[in-house]
Amino acid sequence: MPLPAWLIRPGTVPYDVANAAMHRLAERRLADEIPDTVILLEHPPVFTAGRRAKVDELLWSPDEVEARGGLVRMIDRGGSFTFHGPGQLVGYPILGLGSRPDAVDYLRRLEEAVIGICADVGVASDRRADVQTGVWVGDDKICAIGVRLMRARVTLHGFALNCETDLSWFRGIVACGLPDRGQTSISAQLGRRVDVSDVLPLAERHLAEVFDLSFEPAPDEIVTAFQVADAV
Amino acid sequence: MTSIQMPQLGETIVEGTILKWLKREGDAVARDEPLFEISTDKVDTEVPSPVAGTVTKILVDEGATVPVGTALMEISEAGAAASGDAAASGDAAASGDAAASGDGATSSGDAAASGDAASSPASGAAPTTEPTPEPSGGAASSEGSSAAPPPAAVTPPAAPAVPAAPAAPVAPAAAASVPAAVATVPDRGPRSQILSPLVRRLAKEHDLDLAQIAGTGSGGRITKADVMAVISSGGQVAPATAGATAPVTAPAQPMPAPSAGIGEEIVPVSHIRRAIAEHMLASTQTSARAWTMVEVNVDHLVKLRERIKATFQERYGLKITYLPMVVRATVDALLEYPDVNARLDGDNIVRHRFVNMGIAVSYDAGLIVPVIKGADGMNTIGVARAIADLAARARSHQLRPDEVQGATFTITNPGPYGSVASVPIINQPNVGILSFDAIVKRPVVIDDAIAIRSMVNISMSWDHRVIDGEAATRFLARVKENLETWDFAEDLGV
Repeated sequence: MPLPAWLIRPGTVPYDVANAAMHRLAERRLADEIPDTVILLEHPPVFTAGRRAKVDELLWSPDEVEARGGLVRMIDRGGSFTFHGPGQLVGYPILGLGSRPDAVDYLRRLEEAVIGICADVGVASDRRADVQTGVWVGDDKICAIGVRLMRARVTLHGFALNCETDLSWFRGIVACGLPDRGQTSISAQLGRRVDVSDVLPLAERHLAEVFDLSFEPAPDEIVTAFQVADAV
Repeated sequence: MTSIQMPQLGETIVEGTILKWLKREGDAVARDEPLFEISTDKVDTEVPSPVAGTVTKILVDEGATVPVGTALMEISEAGAAASGDAAASGDAAASGDAAASGDGATSSGDAAASGDAASSPASGAAPTTEPTPEPSGGAASSEGSSAAPPPAAVTPPAAPAVPAAPAAPVAPAAAASVPAAVATVPDRGPRSQILSPLVRRLAKEHDLDLAQIAGTGSGGRITKADVMAVISSGGQVAPATAGATAPVTAPAQPMPAPSAGIGEEIVPVSHIRRAIAEHMLASTQTSARAWTMVEVNVDHLVKLRERIKATFQERYGLKITYLPMVVRATVDALLEYPDVNARLDGDNIVRHRFVNMGIAVSYDAGLIVPVIKGADGMNTIGVARAIADLAARARSHQLRPDEVQGATFTITNPGPYGSVASVPIINQPNVGILSFDAIVKRPVVIDDAIAIRSMVNISMSWDHRVIDGEAATRFLARVKENLETWDFAEDLGV
């Protein structure tokens, strides 16, 4: 029987606002004050560096990133550098993994959900166990995954699926620490525009299925945390 | 005493890296308070304390990567127990429990499973949860908290009877209180009720009651193999001990902690060391490396340096070394031979019309290559200043990310340590790396006479995919010519 869970779809949210709100939700999930919650959103352009990012994997200087209208943020998830920006569906599941957390199993499920989303729009994607966590179309990554566990049992951060992302942004980084791998998007694969709003309902369905959740809208006071426009 | 080990966050995870200690020796910790942060592949996590107490020992350095199960930290529960903290004594019972259940490898599983048992009465929404056959004492481990026991592996204390004994009277009360501590939100562990869509579909198609199928996956989850076994046995639900049809997956054995032999010392590989290793290995696997060396007579440079070093130091606040001169001579040669100042990009050779000179700098953490941006626009003084600045900040860990990337060519300078010839590995994606070794006085033949001169070997590892021996040698000959003929005095402003 699916567990009730909250779904938050706040649209485009500045990275710092979403990151702070996500951490607060995870604290509350940890304290069992809220149910499992999934946030599906977009960010303005931002490069985020996980704890394993290396100093030379940001290929553009901070000034150059700023000149292009982007930000650089060092954050607390696993993995290396990645990019978020318009046209990319970002998902932050805040899930309690229970008493015997299996982080690898969680990553595999995230991948399963994304592969399902891609299949629904007609893109054949797969895991690349030989390369890295994430979802791939051949040698190109279509969805980056990087997560953190709070107290080893509540998930933070998540996945970033390129729908119609401007992939030229990825030239600014060695994405995920892999210099020889490319990036792709659903739109690039299909040769037609598929935007985030097309993919959102599919993401909702596949995440619900893979994690056995039954989504309901989150209460207003939870959602408004993602709508503080000037808190950057 | 509770020993905290590197937890296993997934069956296929064999090691983890300590990102940061959040507690120091002597710090008091509450139960479930984060002790340290670890990183494994794509997942970082805080690891919370399974007990309340005092950190008595930290066994592993920050940045170390160690196998799952390695002892990381010791926590003494004595302080907390003495304070009469009921929760703490409950925890002591939990650790005593783990001790009773066997060795370190399985104790974490037992502790976790007992948490499952405790949470199942709370999670009414999970009817398919299988009762976990754990001793009732296990339920006490969740006493006072709807949060699940943390996954940090707990090593049995040396004398389990000691912590267990005072806790025993607490256990029944704790167990009784469990139903009251109803979690508002059930845990979502990888338990049997979490099923892959495939398993659900198979079960539905064959009209099987999943609650009757024993799961052999991680956390007791029902796998496709479990369902297939039932289907192939004609729909007969296998007994819970389904070992005959589907072998129970044993928890992955943690790798043994490395132990030093006699006369050996174990030093964990640092992040930097590992990054260097990957970088170097990738380079040797990518490039077709060849190597060429020229001998350079730097007699006049040695004399020049002797003559000007005091003035230069006084005027610019810097020690004058040979490296800035070599950089200047090399920059000129790179502009003359642009295929050496290039990179291979797929089917194209990308020639750089500027020189960003990487300078290999050794520092306490290993090796780093800060970059003199726009070295082609600098005179020797400018280069000397840039090198002094970058090297100082590299050694004090103050470099910005953009200062270690974008090199179009690299120079390494092992001479101060006495080497007279080196075969460096190319700093990808450069075409070449030049090594400037030690200047030594040697007898040389000049116009059919033997003379003593200060000589240096300058060599280059170069990528035969991009250039050939002729270009490499002409390039080095140009560097040699520059060093042997240029008058650096003017360029140095002295």
